[in-house]
Amino acid sequence: MENIVFGIGITALTGALATVAGAAEDTESNIGSQGDPNSQVQLAPQMGFLHRIFNKAVAGEPPAYGLWCCLGAGLAWAFMAMQINAVLAIVLGCVLAVFVQGVYATTAYLGRQASLKKFGQPIYVDILKSMTTVTMAHAFVAIFCTVTLCFLINAALGHPFPLPLLGLVWGIALGAAGSATGNPYYGKERQYQNQKFGAGVPISASGNIVRYAEAGERNSLDNGFFTAKLGGPASGVCFGLIVFLELWRTVIFEKIDFPGLGPGWYAIFVGILMILVFTIADRYIETWARKTYGPYAEPKEASS
Amino acid sequence: MSAVAAKPAAGGAMNPTAMGVGIVMLLILLGICWYVAPGLGLMALIGIIIGGVLIGFGTHFVPVGGAPAAMGQAPGIATGVAMLAAGAGLAGLFGGAWAAEQGTVIAVVTGGVGGGLMMAITCMMVNFVYVFGMGIPAASGKVKADPITGDTQAEYKSQGTEGHGLPFVSFVGGVVGGILGGAGGTLIYLMLLDLYKVTLPTMMSATEAQIMPIAVSAAGMFAVGMFLVNAVLTAYNITGTIEGPHDPKFKRWPRSVVASAVASALCGIVAILIVVI
Repeated sequence: MENIVFGIGITALTGALATVAGAAEDTESNIGSQGDPNSQVQLAPQMGFLHRIFNKAVAGEPPAYGLWCCLGAGLAWAFMAMQINAVLAIVLGCVLAVFVQGVYATTAYLGRQASLKKFGQPIYVDILKSMTTVTMAHAFVAIFCTVTLCFLINAALGHPFPLPLLGLVWGIALGAAGSATGNPYYGKERQYQNQKFGAGVPISASGNIVRYAEAGERNSLDNGFFTAKLGGPASGVCFGLIVFLELWRTVIFEKIDFPGLGPGWYAIFVGILMILVFTIADRYIETWARKTYGPYAEPKEASS
Repeated sequence: MSAVAAKPAAGGAMNPTAMGVGIVMLLILLGICWYVAPGLGLMALIGIIIGGVLIGFGTHFVPVGGAPAAMGQAPGIATGVAMLAAGAGLAGLFGGAWAAEQGTVIAVVTGGVGGGLMMAITCMMVNFVYVFGMGIPAASGKVKADPITGDTQAEYKSQGTEGHGLPFVSFVGGVVGGILGGAGGTLIYLMLLDLYKVTLPTMMSATEAQIMPIAVSAAGMFAVGMFLVNAVLTAYNITGTIEGPHDPKFKRWPRSVVASAVASALCGIVAILIVVI
């Protein structure tokens, strides 16, 4: 019983860490302009719209975070093998991983902006100096939380994977959840704030991103400030739910015998039940939107 | 023939010769494994091939919209095909590896459910952000009506776009893709772990308990690597974006399945040879 209570406590803590990690990851990727919406930041100067948005798509968010979290976890693991206190080892590992992120961010910005020289896009040194450190700070929060939850899963819950492998697995999952949930909000809602609310961006408007703020030109800190209100927390909830529910169903139900089938099946059936619950929730959201917002145009059958 | 004169490649067309060559290569690789490591090694390779095929086939179900989806210009999840499939499949592998002690069937099903759960949460949150954050309903650009719910799609598509969000059929496709990917990744891990548990103690003159950390790490790394190989191969087959099982691109899956089988066999041979030679 004590083991289960301990497991539930660790599960709750990892869920909370994952929520913070997801929110920080999305905000970092928006300030740094990483992921799919960066295609528009890259495209804008080619369409004649010069801007002061940070431009770093080092890689897709999942492999990028897979690398950084694996690096942080691997270094922390090495420090722990050198008998350094676990908390200090994780902090040191994550700091070193963040320096790698900073190097990637710097070279990505310089390389990408330099490639746009023929379209007249300048390289802003002040942008490089002010944005890189902010992305690094957010990346540290995301990597630290992810490595810490991996450490808890390994050391406290007894998962067989070593810490660096857990860092790779959950880093990729973090990037996948954060980019899936947060990208549309940054891409459509912020970069194309000049387009109509409640509709997708027409393909003809591609590249015409918003470049001016309330005062002066917009930069990526403004974008981070905006997306941290919904895209970031939504990404955090997404990753937090994934980690928490995956651990919760395993910690509580894995050892319980299912009548006639034995242990292990309870966790499977609870997982299937949770998938069904999310399916119903998704269907409710979809039908709610159709009823509340209505169609953009009358159905062809009705108008003819 | 110059590149300009060449006919535009029909992305969905099957090339029987290439498929035949792929199957022959697969048989050759199986033959090599049978010659070098009959018994457990061959069984492991067959399991790895099945796992790889599950990943390759499952990735076709995952609705991925890439960059256009990030602007609400196309339906699907706004990230890359291989990236999302890897995220879901590795979340499944995490669960499956945890359940490895309870037997192959339970571990593989646990891995599948883990991948499906990750995709169910992600897909729901995607629609949550589209609907409540951006005020955009889900609409498919590839079909007139959702094949599962029968909801009409065209009138919910905003002007100048190919659709947006995740219609219900895409949600179901995402969950199915996550289940197949998670199960496939876990199967590869289990096959390699079983092989390493038997071969590594002799090879390293150590007990099974002593080699377990190495066996788990090596099997896990190979499983992650083979997952990425199969997911990326399938991403090339899909070429960009796919809405899910109702998308015409879904019909390309036989080509990807053959490619995944060959690639998994090749990677599997390497993973097996490091412990049997």
